[in-house]
Amino acid sequence: MIRPILVRRDRVVPATQAVAFVVGIAAALALGLILLWTSGHNPAEVYERMFDSAFVGTDSLARTLERATPLALTGLAVAVAGSMGLWNIGAEGQMMAGATVATGVAMTADGLPGPLLIAVMVVAGVAGGMVLMLGPALARSHLGVSEIITTLMLVYVAIRVVEWLETGPWKDPASHGFAVIEPVPEQASLPGLFGRANVGTLIALGLLIVFSLAVSRTAWGYELRLSGSSPNTARYAGISLSRKVLTALLLSGGIAGLAGAVQLTGSATRLESGLSNGYGFAGIIVAALALMRPSGVAVAAVVFGGVQVGGQSIQTLGVSSAISDILQAMILFGALVAAVFFNYRVRWTGPAGESLVDEPEEADMAAEGA
Amino acid sequence: MAKKFLLKLLVVVATITLVAAGCGNDDDDAAPEPAPTQAPAPAEEPMDDEPMDDEPMTEEPMDDEPMTEEPMDDEPMDDEVVAAFVFVGPVGDAGWTWAHDQGRRYAEEQTGATTLFVENIPEVAEDFRSVVVDFIENEGADVIFATSFGYMDPMEELAGEYPDVVFEHASGYKMNDTNFGNFFGRMYQPRYLSGMAAGAMTQANQIGYVAAFPIPEVLRGINAFTLGAQRVNPDVEVHVTWTFTWFDPAVEGDSAAALIEAGADVIAMHQDSTAPGIAAQDAGARWVSYNSDMSAFAPDAFITAPVWNWGPYYARIIDAVAAGTYSPGAYWGGMDDEIVALAPLAADVPADVSAEIDAVAASIVDGSWDVFTGEIRDQDGNVVVAAGETLDDGSMLGMGYFVEGVVGNAAP
Repeated sequence: MIRPILVRRDRVVPATQAVAFVVGIAAALALGLILLWTSGHNPAEVYERMFDSAFVGTDSLARTLERATPLALTGLAVAVAGSMGLWNIGAEGQMMAGATVATGVAMTADGLPGPLLIAVMVVAGVAGGMVLMLGPALARSHLGVSEIITTLMLVYVAIRVVEWLETGPWKDPASHGFAVIEPVPEQASLPGLFGRANVGTLIALGLLIVFSLAVSRTAWGYELRLSGSSPNTARYAGISLSRKVLTALLLSGGIAGLAGAVQLTGSATRLESGLSNGYGFAGIIVAALALMRPSGVAVAAVVFGGVQVGGQSIQTLGVSSAISDILQAMILFGALVAAVFFNYRVRWTGPAGESLVDEPEEADMAAEGA
Repeated sequence: MAKKFLLKLLVVVATITLVAAGCGNDDDDAAPEPAPTQAPAPAEEPMDDEPMDDEPMTEEPMDDEPMTEEPMDDEPMDDEVVAAFVFVGPVGDAGWTWAHDQGRRYAEEQTGATTLFVENIPEVAEDFRSVVVDFIENEGADVIFATSFGYMDPMEELAGEYPDVVFEHASGYKMNDTNFGNFFGRMYQPRYLSGMAAGAMTQANQIGYVAAFPIPEVLRGINAFTLGAQRVNPDVEVHVTWTFTWFDPAVEGDSAAALIEAGADVIAMHQDSTAPGIAAQDAGARWVSYNSDMSAFAPDAFITAPVWNWGPYYARIIDAVAAGTYSPGAYWGGMDDEIVALAPLAADVPADVSAEIDAVAASIVDGSWDVFTGEIRDQDGNVVVAAGETLDDGSMLGMGYFVEGVVGNAAP
């Protein structure tokens, strides 16, 4: 039987990324026409609202950025690990761990002035994410235990811990018995930029720039990518693989933890079991859309955030949440598939799996370079 | 919920796509999956309330930003109220959100107001704010009803930002003096009655209670239910399992099945899905549902249910907004106000028990008796309500203990 396999294109022109994005989204929107027509909506009206509510006007842009910020940070977290071929599926949990430790710090240091308190909370958030990642990172680097399972399982542990804190030790005495944690101190809210956007967006942007450069332009980043794509070469070159795995995963966890602290001091008023709101899982999609490159995360996060804002906004027009969800999923899926096909091509293989045409090395995602 | 499920599905698809790229597998079959799993939902709710149709629209209804100089252009006629509802679950849950949506439909019929709704909105500030701002600025909403506790903080903020819009929050405790009120019902009253029916129907004297979160509302319901069950059956025990979710059919059903395996032959619940009832019916046990009369979902198991009836309250608020007489309050209505009620009893509930339930219901409605009348002891045997005394609202709203006869941990 002849089977298709995907092979990385030899040369990927950066501009094609943008084209791929647009083509994929356009295809999904075209399919969405059918969905909207058959469900009795005016597609033009729905699409116009979807776009306007996410991108037209400062308030709309602000709320897209409000969403894009945690998405960019979790996306970056996943992408940093992904640069080395590692899968951090647990950014959702690390985000909660970061927010939890940041809340703990805010409770004991609530007398500090705002900027200082926020700084301390952000550092605590990074630490929290790293702590939750420590186990999976050590297990991966020293024992070879798959980080996919361990990071995922700890998501539920982190959320349960918050639920326990909510109903037990941290229950707000002023909450009339409701299971909520007291709000973070007033002064610990990130200054606003415009509309609902806050300084967290700038923090995310700064980190994206730093990590884009670090991964693509420094020796450290080169070693990271090399360790992921060709472990043997890396080892031959004297790179300590276990240390690289440890650093990449801990950084990844720390960035996700930072996302938790930023969310806590930004959009949220207090630590709640719903604080992570799916951003950690969505970060995997963001990183996938960015093909695991920190440099692509910003665009992917803004697109994703805009799709979510627009998807929710069309519900207020009367579009059901099911239709809206399908539409959002189609758009993201379209972008994802297009991104893959612009970077890989289909090659047909013969019965035993050997190629029908001679081909270069079958690449994998981690081999991705600048 | 649906949103989370879809997100997870997308993650899986993303992973598969990338892994496929790496190892040369073609897993594109995964792609069309979202559609069939989600498709049935829209069929259930006809899109009869197309909001834009009845507005006196100019040619461009949504284009609000170029015409800021004409404020409130898309506000409908002065006397027509637009009421918007934010739901935490799907309107097809047959439970909590379904009951609120029935209330919305009733209020729309009664008042002639335009009603709009969004479902599956997570309880986080950015999600809630986003839809509410759209409702107000694009659809001209005059009153916002939010039906979950977690919307409280952002709603308080929005009430300050939009002083001309009325905000009504179910199940919270915050309010202001001008445009932000809260409302809830004394569900413990019909819970007590449902406990009487359950106490009469259990053979094993062991009832399983699938409960969402250890908060006063839920503890109050479990206690009321237990006191009702003990009234007709002093030997009864109520075993509580916490699920830490309001709506998760799989977890709720598993919890019910586990309680039955441990010896319960009647299942009660403080959950929003029908899964515990289906689990009970499968195991040959009986079931007291919640939120709405769910007898259609497990007819052999169903005994009765304490149910919500939000419609009249919604209609009252909308009328008050239309008349310009709205003033916010902290409403906590009981069976006398019909915001809570008991669903019809199953045919095999003994006639004497049924008659006693009617008599107790009558004494609750006429105010001569209420559920938490002493003597009542907590799990440790301490007297929490002295003989002849009745708990005041404050103590009921902050209830943090289980009464004697409940097996479980009130502060897990």
